[in-house]
Amino acid sequence: MKELEKTKRISIAATLFILAVIIGLLTYKRPKNIYAINTKDTLEKITSANYFTTLEELKNPEYVLIDVRNQYEFEKGHLENAINIYAPEILSDDNIKVFNELKESNKMAILYGNNPQEPNAPFLILYQLGFDNIKLLAIENSYLQNKLISKNTVVEKSEADITAFINESVKKANATETVKKEVVAPPKKVITIEKKKKAEAEGGC
Amino acid sequence: MVKKKIAKVLAFRYKILAAILILLAGGLVLLPKYQKHEGIKPEELLSNTISPERYMTTDRLAHILINQDPSFILIDVRDEKSFASYSLPNAINIPLEKLFDEGSDSYLNQNQFDVVLFSNDNFYADQAWILCNRLGYKHMRVLKGGVNEWYATIINPLKPADNMPVTDFELYATRKAASMFFGVVYPEQVKVEAPVIVKEAPKKVITIEKKKKAEAEGGC
Repeated sequence: MKELEKTKRISIAATLFILAVIIGLLTYKRPKNIYAINTKDTLEKITSANYFTTLEELKNPEYVLIDVRNQYEFEKGHLENAINIYAPEILSDDNIKVFNELKESNKMAILYGNNPQEPNAPFLILYQLGFDNIKLLAIENSYLQNKLISKNTVVEKSEADITAFINESVKKANATETVKKEVVAPPKKVITIEKKKKAEAEGGC
Repeated sequence: MVKKKIAKVLAFRYKILAAILILLAGGLVLLPKYQKHEGIKPEELLSNTISPERYMTTDRLAHILINQDPSFILIDVRDEKSFASYSLPNAINIPLEKLFDEGSDSYLNQNQFDVVLFSNDNFYADQAWILCNRLGYKHMRVLKGGVNEWYATIINPLKPADNMPVTDFELYATRKAASMFFGVVYPEQVKVEAPVIVKEAPKKVITIEKKKKAEAEGGC
């Protein structure tokens, strides 16, 4: 009889344990957005793959333009057939749905902003979430008489050779320095002319 | 007999319990899928990246470098070639591809120093920042505009036009002074210096006038 009671207790504990596990599993909320790749793989992908497009390549029917600027700027002027998804709202349910649909239909999402840096963050976050059908449009926008003008640019282009500039400035300065030295007037010599002493009037008769 | 039967049923019950536990353990096999979910939540990462808090201006950086603030580390995420041709003073080169190599972790993931990332503009530096931020690395900054902006503002500042406000002229003066600190020499800088060298205090010639001796007056 004693043994029976013991087993009873064990089985009760076991069922309670299992219940706890089941409740835990049922109440576990799956996070809405999950990274599909870790940081190391992301780094490898973004340093090896070419994810830039140019304005000329936009004619591709597979490409869908997405404007990450705010609504005001979007309404002021945007590229043809672009959808406006403001960067801070890129992870909202509706917008994620849009990206999922694009991925399912094998279309490329082309992100753009006023410069290539602007869509960089949304691009990288979506990329880490597993949307590999995304590219960046490397353009720079400006306005002329309220009309949007977009130009292709190159990201991370070195604009000036600073070492050369510094060396050049040193050279220039040295050149002028030598000229300058010649100009320097020698200090004036102060010639003190000793006046001849007047012969003292000698007293005499 | 009855006891034996009960014991048999009980033994069977244990088997069921064991089977359920094994099934649940099997569920753990599915978990490695979530290992990829390292770092902070995507929503949090997005709000961090949207805020411009991480940017540091070139003027501020110049100020830090000139004062030789020891609490900052500069990290150049460009390739070795660009690093060799020019980089900011005392910068460390960690090309973007090697960001998560073994050696670089000690620079990035620490609490002692503020890390300033930079590249030619802030595109690659931003990418490095985003990946580090996902891993929860603190004290990371990005140089706004990168080396190109550094050149345009500090190394080769644009002289303000005559009709611009005084503050612009003051800014230009400080930037020019900073550029001299970083090795640029201006022709007028030499001009200013030249008279300083020449200016030796001219010897004052003090002619002591001798008192005229009272002339001997002729007289009898």
